Amino acid sequence: MLEVSGLTKRFGGLVAVKGLSFALRGGEILGLIGPNGSGKSTAMKSILGVELPSEGSVKLDGIELAGLPAYRIARHGVGLVFQHSRPLNRQSVLENIKIALLPDRLTQLVAGKHADAQARSIAERVGLGAVLDRKPPTLPFADLRRLELAKAIARHPKLVMIDEPFAGLTMSEVAVFSDLIREFRNEGRAVLLVDHNVKGVAALVDRVLAMYLGEKIAEGSADEVMRDETVRRVYLGGALGTAARPETAFHDAVPLLEVEGAGVVYGKALALQDVSLHVHEGEFVSVVGLNGAGKTTLFNAISGLVPYTGSIRWAGDALRARSAAAIACGGIVQCAETRELFGDMSVRENLDLGGNALADEERRQRLDWLFELFPILRSRQAQMARTLSGGEQQMLAIARALMMKPRLLILDEPTLGLAPVILETLSQALEKLRATTTISVLLGEQNVTFALPHADRVYVLDHARIVWEGSPDRFEEEAAATYL
Amino acid sequence: MRAVFTSRLFWIGIATLVAGALLPLFASGYVLGLLTVACYTAVFAMSWDLLFGFAGEVNFGPTFLIGLGAYTAGILDARLSPQVSMWLCVAAGAAAAVIGGVLLALPALRLRGPYFGLTTLVAVLMLQNFVVVFAGLTGGEIGLSVPDVMSVDAHANYWIAFGFMALSGAILFGLSRSAVGLILQASGQDTVQAGALGFNVVKHKLAAFIVSAFFSGLAGALMVFYMGTASVGTFVDISVGVQVIIAAVLGGRRTVIGAALGAIFLIGMGELLRPLGEMATLIVSVIALLVILFFPDGFLGILRGRARS
Amino acid sequence: MLFWQILIDGFAISALYALGATGFTLIFGVSGVLNLSHGAIMVGAAVAAWAAAGLLHVDAYVAALIGIAVGIGLAFATYFIAVRPIQQSRRIAESEREIFILTATLLWGIIIQELVAYLYTNNAKTVLPIVEGVVTVLGVRTPTNEFFTAVVCWVVIGLLWLLVNRTRRGKAVLAASMNPRGVTLLGIELSGIYLTVWAVYGLLAGIAGILLGMFLGVSSYSVGPLTASAFSIVVLGGLGSVSGSLIAAYVVGYLETMTAYMLSPAYRTIPALLLLIVVMYVRPQGLFGRR
Repeated sequence: MLEVSGLTKRFGGLVAVKGLSFALRGGEILGLIGPNGSGKSTAMKSILGVELPSEGSVKLDGIELAGLPAYRIARHGVGLVFQHSRPLNRQSVLENIKIALLPDRLTQLVAGKHADAQARSIAERVGLGAVLDRKPPTLPFADLRRLELAKAIARHPKLVMIDEPFAGLTMSEVAVFSDLIREFRNEGRAVLLVDHNVKGVAALVDRVLAMYLGEKIAEGSADEVMRDETVRRVYLGGALGTAARPETAFHDAVPLLEVEGAGVVYGKALALQDVSLHVHEGEFVSVVGLNGAGKTTLFNAISGLVPYTGSIRWAGDALRARSAAAIACGGIVQCAETRELFGDMSVRENLDLGGNALADEERRQRLDWLFELFPILRSRQAQMARTLSGGEQQMLAIARALMMKPRLLILDEPTLGLAPVILETLSQALEKLRATTTISVLLGEQNVTFALPHADRVYVLDHARIVWEGSPDRFEEEAAATYL
Repeated sequence: MRAVFTSRLFWIGIATLVAGALLPLFASGYVLGLLTVACYTAVFAMSWDLLFGFAGEVNFGPTFLIGLGAYTAGILDARLSPQVSMWLCVAAGAAAAVIGGVLLALPALRLRGPYFGLTTLVAVLMLQNFVVVFAGLTGGEIGLSVPDVMSVDAHANYWIAFGFMALSGAILFGLSRSAVGLILQASGQDTVQAGALGFNVVKHKLAAFIVSAFFSGLAGALMVFYMGTASVGTFVDISVGVQVIIAAVLGGRRTVIGAALGAIFLIGMGELLRPLGEMATLIVSVIALLVILFFPDGFLGILRGRARS
Repeated sequence: MLFWQILIDGFAISALYALGATGFTLIFGVSGVLNLSHGAIMVGAAVAAWAAAGLLHVDAYVAALIGIAVGIGLAFATYFIAVRPIQQSRRIAESEREIFILTATLLWGIIIQELVAYLYTNNAKTVLPIVEGVVTVLGVRTPTNEFFTAVVCWVVIGLLWLLVNRTRRGKAVLAASMNPRGVTLLGIELSGIYLTVWAVYGLLAGIAGILLGMFLGVSSYSVGPLTASAFSIVVLGGLGSVSGSLIAAYVVGYLETMTAYMLSPAYRTIPALLLLIVVMYVRPQGLFGRR
């Protein structure tokens, strides 16, 4: 029913999707899996026309869809459930569903007799029958997701695409939603699920297609893909060597950073739930987890960028009352996932800004030290940050954070979207950091090969909770299975 | 459609209309004159609310459309009367506003963020400058007098204005509550989602623009023939535009009825404060600022808020 | 002869426009605010200088300084009254903040304008010039004040450039205009940055207002056109681009001067507006805009 061939999407110089080809029949559920940056969401959006494909063809029942605007593709029978719920907050649930049933006409003054009955039956089907007259702000998270499902299937699309079907749901809700999705499949629709890990959707899908850096790396049944060499390498990496020091090696009386029962809520979605961890002075702690697990949320809570419940203590003092800038000045420096570089400033200027609190002489010395750690930055000093390659930008971001003289360096997904050869350089730099300084490091990564070798301890974060804590050497046997 | 008749807003609207219809029984000619202006301002504000509140587009220069309607009608009448009837000029004014609206919307709808609002603001500036510079045609800063007026009787003028407001209000309110209004809201709130649901957002927003332009231009043209003159200060100036926006915000965005109430309130306030002379504008501005800062939901917004909780 | 006259007059007017536009762009670039009370702050500063000279009988320099101080004060007032409360209000949706801030600054501008008219009437006032006399350059008789205006404008712009590109604080401000979160992550309080920016803006607008007052005179009626011209220049040059504003200021300034001399003063504003229309259609982000 759905035939995608050679789908390519370029954003300027960045190729998000490279020559993706696959086919999907009616009555089949395909899982499109990949880590963040793999291009899966872009591929999905390109099929619907929210993004215009740069190359390639998308055929639904033989009709070419590539190049058409989104609303036309939707009318051809494609429904999309977005990752984030987007209801009309001032309208009732019933009205929200009715909109999905309206034709695209300017003269449509009244919704039509059948619309009401149709909307009601769809609502019943997804389980919203009891809340038809309520407005979205009063509904719990799961009901909002049901509403998204209802809108997407309202016009009986041939193809239903769902982005992160189970994000933010409890176990029992996941079961209910899985049943709903199975029903769509049984009606003869083609279902495309986009998600981060195979395990989450393994029970539901008929086939899996794994993506990495915009390309397909494996296709087959869920088991086949989980056992595939390339997939395992991408998610778990190769041999996992470790150099862990036991906890007793660290001598601080209270852990430098202590997080207890932290919780963060974004709107209705639970982003972090009862998370507790600690980092000793000089320790290197890795937090391993897939995207959406909550790593960035955790780091933003520690850095004071989002409100949270629970307690976060720094050298014994509560961080809650301090502003984000004060926390950074106090020694907790975050190198964000998005790097937050000053694109139109030179490498040198970015670094100087990192040293904004230092006296001139000290700043110069620190700069020299960093140029030794990252030699490529010295040669690119005068270059505009925006024009650097991905790897160089990441090094700049880390170097800039180090200019702040942190006691705790938080690194959020430094390897995201980087080629393997850069990872080597980064890895060496981290090794040097660990060996020559007493800086504590809190590293958040989905790339286990990168995260484990330097770590003294590892936490696994999954769906907003800590599900495992231990030393790196025990990771493979105890935690790796759940991780894939 | 049943939803329209049972909504609270609808009944507030009806109440206002009844009050308005009974007014000429006790009000003086002067007050009626004031309310006539208020009626036209109400239509300006309601048109603006349809565009902003529903389609989500920030029109920061409603006076571009109003001014186009007013001046086109005025100039045509000044030049071509008595061969051309006054009502034809009014129609021409409305048409000019619609054309202007389309010319403005086409590039503007492609823009995002502050650029759209800026474009509308620039449009007002251009009209203002045009009027002042080509004073021979437009009467410049002094203003343009038109030979025809709708009526010299305060009652008749009031009824015309009131009827127009009631009719426009009914149409605009009805639109806002219709299925099309729902699509507009979806387009305004989340363009991507609306597209994914199968709606051609640009088409709908353009239509909203045209409707808003039509009513604004029509009201502007009619008001010229009420006042007998057209000047920059009454139809084009940015401060008039601000009044329109404040009226809609004061009354409550996305209610249409609220915009009308807000306009009546503002005109009334302006009048009450008239004895204070120059301080009047100052005080109205201060109050408007306070409303924006502390009551952004406006009168009806507050009422609805309480109803919801 | 006419050529030199246009060249000199145009240069002075453009410099004045450039100074005003730079301030406007700065505030937009860092704070994200299109300040529609811009003209009011300029006029407020000029009138304060005039009033100080008239009522307190101080000399021109002191009056100018008082005017500048008032300009900075008005800028802060704009930030704390019309901008910050809306930026931090939880009752206004993200998408609507822009228009609320635009409207609030416009209202605040009207309030200042009306206050000036109320306290000091609508009549045009000329600020006591610091430099007087007439000088003949290239065969053109020009008031010395005109050269003074151009020189001061460019000195101030130059100092601003130095501030932003050579001092730590200035670089932090520049960085904040590119990436506010990045600046926070580096331990710099954004609130401090905003205070700095509004203070600098008040300084720029104040100086521009006073120079204008000395050169051509101001009245409460000047408020609207001043905001409009700064705004048009900045849109033409590209929102957020200081170099764009400078260039656009000169384009507009010269277009106006040439039209005034060669066609008629009444049509002064037309070519610039036509240019603006064309730019809005063809390249809405302005000549050098990047956002």
